[in-house]
Amino acid sequence: MVPTARRRMRRAGRRLYPYLLILPFFAFVGLFVFWPVAYSVFLSTMEWKLGYATREFVLLDNYAKLLSSREFWDTTANTAVYTVFVVVFSIAFGLLLSLAISRRERFASMWQAVFFLPVAATMAAMAVVWRYIFDTNLGTLNVWLQALHLPRVDWLNQTGTAMGAVVFVSIWSNAGYAMVYFVAGLSAIPRDLHEAAQIDGAGPVRRFAGITWPLLSPTTLFVLIIMVVRALGSFDTIKVLTNGGPVGGTRVLSLLLYQEAFQFFDTGYASGVAVVLFVIVLALALLQMRVEKWVHYQ
Amino acid sequence: MGPLPVTAASIRQGRRFRFSPGGAGVWLFLVALGVVALFPFFLMLATSLKPIDEIFETGRLLPRRISLVGYATVFAHSLLLRYLLNGVIVTVLILAGQLLVTIPAAYAFAKLSFPGREALFSLVLAALVFPRYIAAVPNFLFLSRLRLIDTYAALTLPFIGSPLGVFLLRQFFRQVPWEYFDAARLDGCSLSQMLRLVLMPLIRPAVGAFAIFSIVSHWNDFFWPLVVVQTAKMFTPPAGIVYFADAEAGTRWDIVMAAAVVIIAPLLLTFIAARRQFISSLMHQTLKG
Repeated sequence: MVPTARRRMRRAGRRLYPYLLILPFFAFVGLFVFWPVAYSVFLSTMEWKLGYATREFVLLDNYAKLLSSREFWDTTANTAVYTVFVVVFSIAFGLLLSLAISRRERFASMWQAVFFLPVAATMAAMAVVWRYIFDTNLGTLNVWLQALHLPRVDWLNQTGTAMGAVVFVSIWSNAGYAMVYFVAGLSAIPRDLHEAAQIDGAGPVRRFAGITWPLLSPTTLFVLIIMVVRALGSFDTIKVLTNGGPVGGTRVLSLLLYQEAFQFFDTGYASGVAVVLFVIVLALALLQMRVEKWVHYQ
Repeated sequence: MGPLPVTAASIRQGRRFRFSPGGAGVWLFLVALGVVALFPFFLMLATSLKPIDEIFETGRLLPRRISLVGYATVFAHSLLLRYLLNGVIVTVLILAGQLLVTIPAAYAFAKLSFPGREALFSLVLAALVFPRYIAAVPNFLFLSRLRLIDTYAALTLPFIGSPLGVFLLRQFFRQVPWEYFDAARLDGCSLSQMLRLVLMPLIRPAVGAFAIFSIVSHWNDFFWPLVVVQTAKMFTPPAGIVYFADAEAGTRWDIVMAAAVVIIAPLLLTFIAARRQFISSLMHQTLKG
């Protein structure tokens, strides 16, 4: 009797073993990822300012407030403008850089390091450096303008230039990231295709249009989605350079969420913004998973 | 990029350096963009070495005299030193916690079969997709109810359960030849010898790639410390330098730039030393928003 009981215990233990191995992980993820997501959706149906004892169930009032507020639509428009410019230019520069680098094998890895440096550096600290470059009085840009006898520009505090400055810095920090994906994509294109086309008399432009671009298109789509997700989530650059100013001109959704939640403590409203952002990113992530499959099955 | 005369010889010589107008254009393009990419780093370094009176001498990029006052101030300033220490503590705690919980989970998903495995793994994939902002408010409320705001616990706990860690390590564990373990056991290895001599060398590449990713993203994180830190001494380096630049430095750009150099240096040195691993480990960042 005793041996079978022990064996049964051992078998039960072996059956439980995998669950014990994954338990600590799921405890953390459940507590800090899944539960918060569900709770955010719940909070977004509440009228609640942090620190007040009362909270009231208001169903979709926060969303109604969101959708009827000027601030939300301005912020959404800013987010769209910011995202489109950052994504398009990061991809364009990333692609051009990867094409230029792949031509010269000897220094390829050195050039790649140069353009990846901005990606590797701590963005908040680099944004402080950029703030110095854009500074009204001491800033490098204004010193150059002055040397050319042009008037100073208050780059970061002026509606016409603030968004441009923020977008420029974001491209600076993202193009290298797009580049490394394109370098990987280019290296997968068989060399003999280019050589054969060259023998047939196709010039560089025709070879790009006929070979490189079509074969690179899965990579391009993949990079496109990554870049959109990154741009939608970007916070550091804008927070440090302009803090959303002047008069909300560079405020994007992630910053609006931060300000509503942690500066104005409007928990319900902020959760509404969070849910909107979540839905957009989730849709993109699902799209990315599809694309990823497609890329790998090529 | 003019058309090239195509002869057998020119194809054979294809890989040798040739001067061509197209090549020069490409070179010029790379150099021009390279200057833009590196300029902020150069400016940061040059300004950090300027004596204070030269900061206002705006026409000049390079320092006339090298001054280490900025760096001396950084290392004498108790808060800036504290930020660096916080950064080390937080990244190490997060990485250690992540490895403790993700290695067993990844092993289970890779090598064991149990009912519900696929469903549970799709939960890991789902968690991979969630942007961090959605969890920020509830996590803040939860941590403040536990009275953990302004502690290392608040800075680290939310990141311990890393779905990316489980995902990457699982991919890797599936390819590890576990037969080595049986062989080692047959040869009479003790458990500690197995861990040290068999397991560690086998999983080191995967753990290394994940470690780079984890350290880079949490050393650089600006958002979460801003949310859960309320007294300046608990800031990690990115939030710390921004706070210092806003609240204390005034026009002492030499100190700000020296602090920026010190904060960026550890990652950049790692990057320069292990370029390839660094880039490929950051390329896994794909799904995180």
